[in-house]
Amino acid sequence: MPSISHWGLFLCASVASAARLTVSIPSTPPLLPNPGTLPLSTHAVLVGPPGVRYDVPIRRDSTFVFPDVADASYLLTLHSRDYFFPPLRVDVSKATDASQQQTIQAWQTFRGNEWDNKGPNYGSGKGELQLQLQPSGHKDFYQARGGFNIIGFVKSPMILMALVSAVMIFGMPYLMDNMDPETKAEFNEMQKSSPLTGSGGAADQLQNFDLAGWMAGKGTNSASGGGGSKKR
Amino acid sequence: MLLPLLSAATLLLTPSLAVFQDEAFHIDYHFALLGAPKESTTFFHQPNPASKASLIYTLSEEGALGAVNPRDGSLVWRQLLQGQHQSNASFLRAGEGQDLVVSGSLNQVAAWSAEDGRLAWRTATDGVLRDVEILELSDGKEMVGAKDAVALSGSHGAQSSVVRLDGATGAVKWTYEFDGSDEAYQVSASSTHIYAILLHKTLLGYLRIRVVSLDPVTGKKIDEYMLSSENELATADTIVSVGANSASPIIAWTDAAHSTLKVNVVGSKAISSFTIDQHAGETVARVQVHAPYHINSLSHFLVHYETATSHWADVFHVDVNNGKVTKAYSLPKLAGKGAFSTSTSDANVYFTRITRDELSTVSSASHGILGRWPVTSFGVVSGIGEVIEPVHAVSEVSVKGDAVSAIRTVVLLSTGDWILLRGGTATWNRPEILASTVAATFAMPAEVEAFAERLQAEASSNPVSAYVQRLTRHIAELKDLPALLVSFPQRVVNGFLGTSEDDLASDNFGFHQIITCATRNGRMLALDAGNPNRILWNRQVADLKKEQAWNPRLASSKGGEVTINSQAGTGFRYNISNGEQLVSILPVDVEGDAKAAREVRFTMTDSALDATVDSKPAWHFSPASGQTIHSLVPRPVNDPVASIGKVLGDRRVLYKYLDPNLALLVTKSSLTLGPSNTATFYVLNTVSGAILHASTHNDIDLTSPIATLISENWLAYSFTSAASATAPKGQQLVIGELFESLVPNDRGPLTGNQNYSSTISTPEPYTLTHTYQIPEAISKLAVTRTKQGITSRQLLALLPDSGAIVGIPYNALNPRRPVGRDATKDEQAEGLLRYNPVLEFDPKWLLSHQREVLGLEEVVTSPALIESTSLVFAWGLDVFGTKISPSFSFDILGRDFNKFQMLGTVAALGVLTFVVAPLVTRKQVDQRWKFL
Repeated sequence: MPSISHWGLFLCASVASAARLTVSIPSTPPLLPNPGTLPLSTHAVLVGPPGVRYDVPIRRDSTFVFPDVADASYLLTLHSRDYFFPPLRVDVSKATDASQQQTIQAWQTFRGNEWDNKGPNYGSGKGELQLQLQPSGHKDFYQARGGFNIIGFVKSPMILMALVSAVMIFGMPYLMDNMDPETKAEFNEMQKSSPLTGSGGAADQLQNFDLAGWMAGKGTNSASGGGGSKKR
Repeated sequence: MLLPLLSAATLLLTPSLAVFQDEAFHIDYHFALLGAPKESTTFFHQPNPASKASLIYTLSEEGALGAVNPRDGSLVWRQLLQGQHQSNASFLRAGEGQDLVVSGSLNQVAAWSAEDGRLAWRTATDGVLRDVEILELSDGKEMVGAKDAVALSGSHGAQSSVVRLDGATGAVKWTYEFDGSDEAYQVSASSTHIYAILLHKTLLGYLRIRVVSLDPVTGKKIDEYMLSSENELATADTIVSVGANSASPIIAWTDAAHSTLKVNVVGSKAISSFTIDQHAGETVARVQVHAPYHINSLSHFLVHYETATSHWADVFHVDVNNGKVTKAYSLPKLAGKGAFSTSTSDANVYFTRITRDELSTVSSASHGILGRWPVTSFGVVSGIGEVIEPVHAVSEVSVKGDAVSAIRTVVLLSTGDWILLRGGTATWNRPEILASTVAATFAMPAEVEAFAERLQAEASSNPVSAYVQRLTRHIAELKDLPALLVSFPQRVVNGFLGTSEDDLASDNFGFHQIITCATRNGRMLALDAGNPNRILWNRQVADLKKEQAWNPRLASSKGGEVTINSQAGTGFRYNISNGEQLVSILPVDVEGDAKAAREVRFTMTDSALDATVDSKPAWHFSPASGQTIHSLVPRPVNDPVASIGKVLGDRRVLYKYLDPNLALLVTKSSLTLGPSNTATFYVLNTVSGAILHASTHNDIDLTSPIATLISENWLAYSFTSAASATAPKGQQLVIGELFESLVPNDRGPLTGNQNYSSTISTPEPYTLTHTYQIPEAISKLAVTRTKQGITSRQLLALLPDSGAIVGIPYNALNPRRPVGRDATKDEQAEGLLRYNPVLEFDPKWLLSHQREVLGLEEVVTSPALIESTSLVFAWGLDVFGTKISPSFSFDILGRDFNKFQMLGTVAALGVLTFVVAPLVTRKQVDQRWKFL
C-alpha cells in the first residue's frame, strides 16, 4: 500500500506546470507559541481522487509544500501528534487556456457533511496558494486518576458532620466544666426550655409518646407540638 | 445480594476510555526502530559543524532514515522515506561540515536538517535515482553555505541524466542528458570533474563501462570513453565498487569467478589487474572495496575478500600523479567472517577490522597495528551453538600520535542486532531485526499453562475433590517455601516500590507471555511480553537466498511451544523459552475422533472461492462481474462469547446471531476493468456457503487500505470514500451486528430449537449497521480478546498517518445507537448514546499515547489469565505492545491502588483504637456508677 500511494505521487509529479500549495503554521500564542516545537512526524496529506495522494513532511520553517498538485478536488489533513488541525478542502481547477495558470482554492470542510458544504474560505490563488492553518486544539492523552486528596476528603459533608460531632463529644464536657456556675445554670435552663431537649420538647414527646392515647383520638396538650402531633 | 451483582454488571458495561498517566510508559513498550542499516548509507557525522559531538546517520533497508545517538543508542530523529520494503537503491550523503544530510530514494532527492531531521528541500527527478553525491569542491565562488548535490537518474529504456541541485533550495542548476539508452550506474565527483559511469550492453550481452566526465560548473560534457573490460562483466553484480568523492575515485570489478581484480582510476584509461589469491582451494565468494570518502584524504583503499569460512584483505595505494595502483600490504587471513571499516582523520586513512573476537586498527600507510581490543561478547543473544559474526561496521577513530586513543565502532551483527563497541566492549544494542518482522504470535510458557490448567481443573471438579487437589498442590508447593521465605522481604519491597518481578514461572496473571517473531530474513526470535527489553533468543530457522520470501505463519497450539509453517516447510516446532527445535514427530491424537472433525478446505483465487468438504466440492463463490476478491477474514478460532444475548435496559434480551463459521469476504472492482470503484462486503457462512449479509459501497478509493474484521456476532470494516458533491469525502468505519431477531426475548425461527445445522437450514440474521466518518485511514483492525469474553470489547485500529494504535470502545460504535433522537432511559442504562455520524478519535483512546509508532502493519491480541486484561502486540517497522483492560482492571489491583495509603489507614485506625479505648472504658465505668 505504500507503493501504491507512492505511484500516485510518481504519476502526478511528472505532470508539468501543476499548482503549488504551501501551508504554513503560524504562531498561535496560548495554544502553540512556537510551531518549531511541532514533532518531526507532523505531516500533511492531500487525498484526491482514487490513487492520487500526496504526503509531505514538515519543513524547517514549519511549512508544508506540495510542489505539483494536479487538477482535482482534495481533502487536506494535517496529522500531528500533539495538535488537532481542521480539515480543509482544496480545489485545483484547470486553466481556461494554455497561457493561464491553474486556479487553486481552499475552504474549511466538515467531517460527516456532504462535500459541497464548505466553510470559510482560506484563500485562492493562480498557480500558487499560500495559506495559514492554525491548530484547533491540543491533544490530551492521559486520563487523570481519581486520586486521594486530603483537602477534598475533609471538605466532604459527611466528614464535616463527623468532625463536628466529634468536637461536640470531646469538647462539650470540658466546655461545661470550664463555665462559671451562673452561666451553667442559665445554660441548663435554656436546655430545659428548648423545643428539642427540654421537657415537653420534641425529643421528650417522642420518647414518651402515648400511642394508645393517640389511637384513641386524644388530642395533644401542647400547641407547639412537634413530632407526630397533628391538628385537626 | 442483587446489588453487588448489579454494580458489577454496570462496571463491566462502563468502558475504560483511556490510558492512565501512571501506567503510560510502564505497561506499554515500544522499539523505535530503523531496520537493518545499509553499509553504504551509514556514517558518523557532526550535525552541527561547530560542535564535536557526532551522531550516527543511517538509511536502512526498510527505507527509514534516522540519526542515532552513539552514547546510548537512542533515536534522535527519523523519517520514513517512501518505498518501504522495496529493493530499490537508496542513498544517503552528508557533506563535510554541513548541517544537512541528503537522501535519495526512488525519484526523490531530499535534504534533511542533520540536527532535528526536518525537511530542508525535496526535488523530484525524471527517472529513478541511480546515485546521489555531494559536490565537495565546487566552482570556488559559493563555498559558503550548503554544498550542492549531484543526482544521476535513469529508468529502464529511458534516457539517463545528471542534475546538479542547489544545496540550499534544491533547485536544479543544470541537467545533462546522456545519449543512447545505456544504464546509469553511478556518479562520482573529484575536485574538478563529475564522472558519470554508465553500463553499455554489447551485442554479445556483456557490459562495458562507459565513463562520461562533465564540468561541474556548466554541466557540459568534457570527455567520454569506454573502459575495455573485455568479456569479464556479465552482470553489474561483479562491479565491486565505484569509489566516490575521493582524490582519485576508482572503479573496481572482478570476473564472475572472482579470480582477478581489475582497478581503474576514474579519469585515466589504464586498468591495473591483480590476481586474487585462492587460499587452499576455497573459492572467493565476495569481494568488497573499502575506500575513504573524503576528497582530501590519501587515496588508499582496502579490498576485502571473503570465502565461506574465512576472510582477508589487501591494501592498495593509488599514485595520484600517474594513476598507478600498487598493492601496499595484506592483512592476514582469519577464520570466520569479518568486517572492515574506513575512517579518516585529516588526510590519514585508518582501516578497522572486526572479527568474531577482536577489533584492530591499522593505518592505510603501513601494516603496523595501532590498536587492538579483544571482544569477549557482543552483548546480544543468539541461537544455541550459533557463532555471531559481524556483517558490516562503521568506525570513528581518534588517533593521538601513533596509537588510537578512542574508537567507536557501530556493527551490524549476523543476528540482526546493531551494536556499538567502545574499544572492545559493547555499550548498547538495537534489535533492528525486529523491524523486519513478518509474523508474530503469543505463546504461554509451559509452566504457566500447566498452572492455569490445574486451577481450571480445581474450579470445575466437585468441592471435595477440588479441596483434596488444592491440598495436595499446596503440600507439593511446600518444598518451595524456604526459597520463598528468603526472597520474601525483597518481594515485599518490590511490591511497594512498584518494581515488578521478572520471574517467568511465577506469572499467575498470564502477563509474561512469550511473543515469537519470524523475520523476513528467516530468523525467529522471542520476547517476553512482561519484560520486553530482553530478547530471550534469536536464531536462524530458514536458510533463505537474497530477496526470497518464505511467508511464515506462527501458531502456538499448546503451552511452551510454537509451530511455524512456511514455504520452507510445515510443522516445525520450537521450545519458546530457549528456541530449541523440538523433534518433529507428528503427534497422533489418540482421543480425537476422526469423524467428528470434518475438514472443510478452501481454495481462494482472485476470482473465486471454493470450498470442499471431505474432498467433495461443497460450494463455490464467484464475485459479481468485474469484481475480484480482495480479502477474506474468518472469525478468530479462539473467540469466546460470554453471553448468547444482549441484555437490554428493561431486562429483556436480544439474541445474538452466533455461528463459529462466519467470515467476512470483500470483493472490489478489478482495476483493469475501468474506474467503477465499488467494493462489496459479504458475511458468509463458511460451511454452507450462504451469504448472510451483503453491502456494496460505491465511489471507494480502492488504492487506499480496506481493513476488515469479524468477531463474535459483529463485523467492522473501514475504507476511504472518494468525493462526490452530495456525499462526504474521507474515511469511513462501518460496524454491523447480527441478531437472531430484532424483537427482544424472541429467537425468531430458532425458537425452541436446541440444535440446528447450518448445512440443513441457515436462518438469516437481522443485521444492524452504522457508518461513522473517521478522521483518518485505518490500515488494520483487530479486537481485544479476553479469557472468557465477559469483558467489553475494544476495536483496535492501526492509524498509519498518525503513527498510532487506537482502541475504540465497542459502545462508542454500537450499531444500536439511536438515530435522530436522544436515547431513552432504558437505552441509557445500556450505555447507548445518540448516534453521531462523525467519530473523532479521542486522544485518550490512543493506546500508543505519546509514542510515535511508525510503519505498523499487523496487530495481534491474546487473553491474559485474568479476565480483565488483553495483551496487544503490533509490528511493522516499529514494535509496540501493551496490555489493556477494556472494562478497567476489576480483578487485579492496579497502579491506582495505593499501598501506602492502605497501610496508613490501617495504622491510623490502630492508633485511634488505642486512643479511644480508655475513653470507652471510662464511659462504661461511669455508666455503671450512674445506674447502680
